[in-house]
Amino acid sequence: MATTTMTMAKALNEGLRRALEEDKKVLLMGEDIGKLGGVFRITDGLQKDFGEDRVIDSPLAESAIVGTAVGLAIRGYRTVCEMQFDGFVYPAFDQIVSQVAKLHKRSDGAYVMGLVIRLPFQGGIGAIEHHSESPEAYFAHTAGLRVVACSTPNDAYWMIQQAIAHDDPIIFCEPKSRYWEKGEVDLDRPSHGLFETARRREGTDVTVIGYGASMKTILRAADTAASEGVSLEVIDARSLSPLDLDPMVTSIQKTGRFVTVQEAPHMASIGSELVAELTQRCFYSLRAPGVRVSGYHVPYPPTRLEEDYRPSVDRILDAVDRVMGFEG
Amino acid sequence: MSQEIFLLPDVGEGLVEAEIVTWKVREGDVVTLNQPLVDIETAKATVELPSPYAGTVTKLHGDVGDVMHVHEPLITFDVGTASGDATPATSQHTAIVASDTEAPAGEGREAVLVGYGVANEDGLATRTHRRRGVTSTPLATISSASTPVSTPPTSLAPRSTPPVRLYAKQHGVDIESLTGSGRDGLITRDDVERALRADAPQDVSVTASVGSRGALNTSRFVGRDIESWATGPAEERIPVKGVLRSMSEAMVQSAFSAPHAVVWMRVDASATMELVAGLKTRPHTQGLRLSPLVIVALGLCDAARNFPGINSSFDAAAGEVIVRRSVNLGIAADTPRGLIVPNIKGADALNLIDMAKALNVLVEKARQGTTTPNEMIGTTLTITNVGPFGVDAAMPILPPGTGAILAIGKIAKAPWVHDDEIVVRHVVELALAFDHRQIDGALASRVLAHVGNFLNNPGVYLLAG
Amino acid sequence: MTWGFVVKGESMIDEELVQLLTPEGQRVAHPDYESTLDGEAIFALYRDMVIVRRLCNESTSLQRQGQLALWAPIQGQEAAQIGAGRALQPMDFTFPTYREHGIAWCRGVPAQDVLRMFRAVSNGGWDPQKYRHSVPTVVLGNQALHAVGYAMGIQRDGAEEAVMTFFGDGASSQGDTLESFVWAASFNAPVVFFCQNNQWGISTPSSLQSKVPLYRRAQGFGFSGVRVDGNDVLAVYEVTKKALDNARVGGGPTLIEAYTYRMGAHTTSDDPTRYRIDAEVEVWKHRDPVERVKALLVHEYQAKGAAFDAVAHEAETMALQLREDVLAMGRPDPITMFDHAYASEHALIEEGRREMLELGISGGVH
Repeated sequence: MATTTMTMAKALNEGLRRALEEDKKVLLMGEDIGKLGGVFRITDGLQKDFGEDRVIDSPLAESAIVGTAVGLAIRGYRTVCEMQFDGFVYPAFDQIVSQVAKLHKRSDGAYVMGLVIRLPFQGGIGAIEHHSESPEAYFAHTAGLRVVACSTPNDAYWMIQQAIAHDDPIIFCEPKSRYWEKGEVDLDRPSHGLFETARRREGTDVTVIGYGASMKTILRAADTAASEGVSLEVIDARSLSPLDLDPMVTSIQKTGRFVTVQEAPHMASIGSELVAELTQRCFYSLRAPGVRVSGYHVPYPPTRLEEDYRPSVDRILDAVDRVMGFEG
Repeated sequence: MSQEIFLLPDVGEGLVEAEIVTWKVREGDVVTLNQPLVDIETAKATVELPSPYAGTVTKLHGDVGDVMHVHEPLITFDVGTASGDATPATSQHTAIVASDTEAPAGEGREAVLVGYGVANEDGLATRTHRRRGVTSTPLATISSASTPVSTPPTSLAPRSTPPVRLYAKQHGVDIESLTGSGRDGLITRDDVERALRADAPQDVSVTASVGSRGALNTSRFVGRDIESWATGPAEERIPVKGVLRSMSEAMVQSAFSAPHAVVWMRVDASATMELVAGLKTRPHTQGLRLSPLVIVALGLCDAARNFPGINSSFDAAAGEVIVRRSVNLGIAADTPRGLIVPNIKGADALNLIDMAKALNVLVEKARQGTTTPNEMIGTTLTITNVGPFGVDAAMPILPPGTGAILAIGKIAKAPWVHDDEIVVRHVVELALAFDHRQIDGALASRVLAHVGNFLNNPGVYLLAG
Repeated sequence: MTWGFVVKGESMIDEELVQLLTPEGQRVAHPDYESTLDGEAIFALYRDMVIVRRLCNESTSLQRQGQLALWAPIQGQEAAQIGAGRALQPMDFTFPTYREHGIAWCRGVPAQDVLRMFRAVSNGGWDPQKYRHSVPTVVLGNQALHAVGYAMGIQRDGAEEAVMTFFGDGASSQGDTLESFVWAASFNAPVVFFCQNNQWGISTPSSLQSKVPLYRRAQGFGFSGVRVDGNDVLAVYEVTKKALDNARVGGGPTLIEAYTYRMGAHTTSDDPTRYRIDAEVEVWKHRDPVERVKALLVHEYQAKGAAFDAVAHEAETMALQLREDVLAMGRPDPITMFDHAYASEHALIEEGRREMLELGISGGVH
């Protein structure tokens, strides 16, 4: 097994490189992704190696990045669109929900919308306004789209390749605050399918489900909980639409309690969906209702305050206490 | 000759009615397809309606100035006479209307701004579709059944419903210690209630000790030897499984579905004791274990023959009472594994010797643990004999699905008024518990009295039938 | 120029309007364009226009008779669409709105397939890859970006093909349309933007959409714009053909503003008498796109009444056939709504299908 240690940014870069190498129809398009290599350097060096026709520096118009990717998909190309920041995806929202999500259906399958929209999402980098958003639920809500989120370099490396190869349009959420954290990457084979849940830690008392940047926080909370005598089972949802619920159900049938964690506000969110589905499926096993840990229902705060907004170890453990307290 | 009625269509104006402005045809006119028929004015616009049929106008359903409602008749056509043959379009239209019951702009829609209009939901008040093949299956079962989980968790949380968990918590019952009697082991409210009763001193269906006598001298807990007070741990947890589980589930099911009532009586069983003693001296009974239980069994079967209603069970699901004219006589047996209730099939047809033999076989198999499952199902009446344990009486719980159970206490000498004198007689206490859903106190009393009389005077009953 | 009346919007007509045939059917010369079509070809264009007008009328009738949810008529715009549609090569690709019935006709899309969406039995209606004519775009402006993206694909394939996308004066204000201009110019995409300025976006006059003639916008984005008499099929054909030819050989995008008029309502749900005057409609009646070609055919090619009658009869037959085909379109099996929602397995799709089957809403035949 060939494993190597790299950052998530590098893993994405390597994954994109491999996809470009393996399929000539794969293109990258986005703002400043060429010479600059993207504001996060995810595409660093790719334009130099694959040319300006395949790694396309675009004018500044997100709707056009996605809209032209639709035309390219109709022509048989697989375009990976980079949205520079989560908060800049909204100009492309119309194209994504009106066209990308619907054209396969409207053409009775004649159009394959094999495009990937990369979204550096969630906060935690001390940025300014519009650079720390978690818009995943808008897209998960839209039939015709799929939404995934990576949380480790290994997943980043494999999931981006799996997403590009997939025939459905995929919103690919990258936790930008974890871009520079290192991890082991297995270059030979992926650990999971693109739409599969991964168990990150075994436990017996409470199942904690999260995705993206929250995973690291959850694992830290699990360490602390263990020192307090509470055993957390930690699950990385990875696929936000569709949700891979069975492994979560198995876990909750064991623990009888669960907590969901996300940076987005919880109103009509991934956490809401998880609580609804898992309550329905695990009703007879539940010792306590599922509890959501999330961002507050306010516009993302100035980032001097963001650590009080994002789910922290304290807030996760507080939720764990609450579900543990239900049966006394 | 065929008639077609052109209903005022929803022309997409978002309105439910229109006024007739100008008729462009008269009754009797022959019109062609798409020929202008009428100008109608809605609140928004004046619209010319083209004819959907080729044929003869036979009726105009309104006059100029009339306000017509959308989807109500506007013009009636005779489409078979215009030229002797209907146009292809017309015939096709007829066919479509006949086959497609949901024509796009049918009466079922209410006009709005754009489109066919809003579907009329009046017809949706009744249920028209019901899920097939999945009747009253809980959601949790559907979803877990849809995708089998490859690696079942090693230790499952006890399955129950949140309200039952709350109930258990409020009453101090540790739900972890319960075994669920519901679907797939679901812990139900009944299970919690059962646990609550178990904590209080109460009746249990103590067995007739027909098996291991030695059990009398050891401390046992339903088929399990328990260490002595001195040597055992301070607290011991015993898994509810095997015979214990069967017993607990059966008792819970019966106790909380069948309303139990009990009648009892004391009987002079001296004649029975004399009969049994006498029989033991006869050559053809050698090797047979004979006890008063044989006579009790014969007496109960005789009572059933006289009062068939006692040999019954209550089928709540079907809403029926099942009366059986054959007794499968269950005998509660205290075995090394615990309480089991094997039965003698067709016991009502047995004579004294055959009944004694059947009881011998039943007891022996129970003692050796070779009772087959088949021998434990189908019980209609039961006898539980607590006499060997030295107690006077018991208030038993019915095995599920049976109508009555007779408990026999110890047969002991006691002062008794016999022929107007106080004398020492063999006296036994009988108690008959019954399912009061279908059996009333009068019937139960007659049955018990019949058994009592049988024991009091067995020779007469055995000989006279 | 021989415009008879001056009404609202006339001031936008400038001397750069390309016209090869007057409303009276007289040929006029233009320095940059010359009609290349012979009599037979012009008659074919006439036939196309008559047929699409007749089919459009039938569709309006079907809506008035309650058989369609909606219809968007093209009356008045036949020359713009037939001229543009016939200038396309088979391998070119087109991205329409919901009013491009004439283009669909030229691409070979069966007439009844165009009506599937309007009968509300489909959200598309035809195989867009087979006819190289995309499904109609309703969120106007989106399609212009699809066209540019497709054109970028053509560039990367090294193919000599072109893309044409359609929109109106209304959608010219959409951000997507303007972004597509930027993209097309920056990447020199082989795309032709065909704007039918029919003067009205429902009730909004084109003067509210733009303070300069629309075709002049192209210049600001860095490519050519041309205004053509949209009711002159000969001019539209030549202008479009030149733009497409130019695109195919790397000449980049062109914006064509076909100056025309929507004679009918925006859709069957609209009432144009509320916002425009009869006199304006009367003016445009004199500029009818079909009549001027008929006049040309009569006086220049001696076309006979019988030939016109044959076309009218053909159109009539097709209209009846269309009616029959539309009436035969029943309600689809509900379970088909799950088909092609995704390209591959999806748990929620399976869940929906299962519920529908278990409730007996669908027999499961599809």
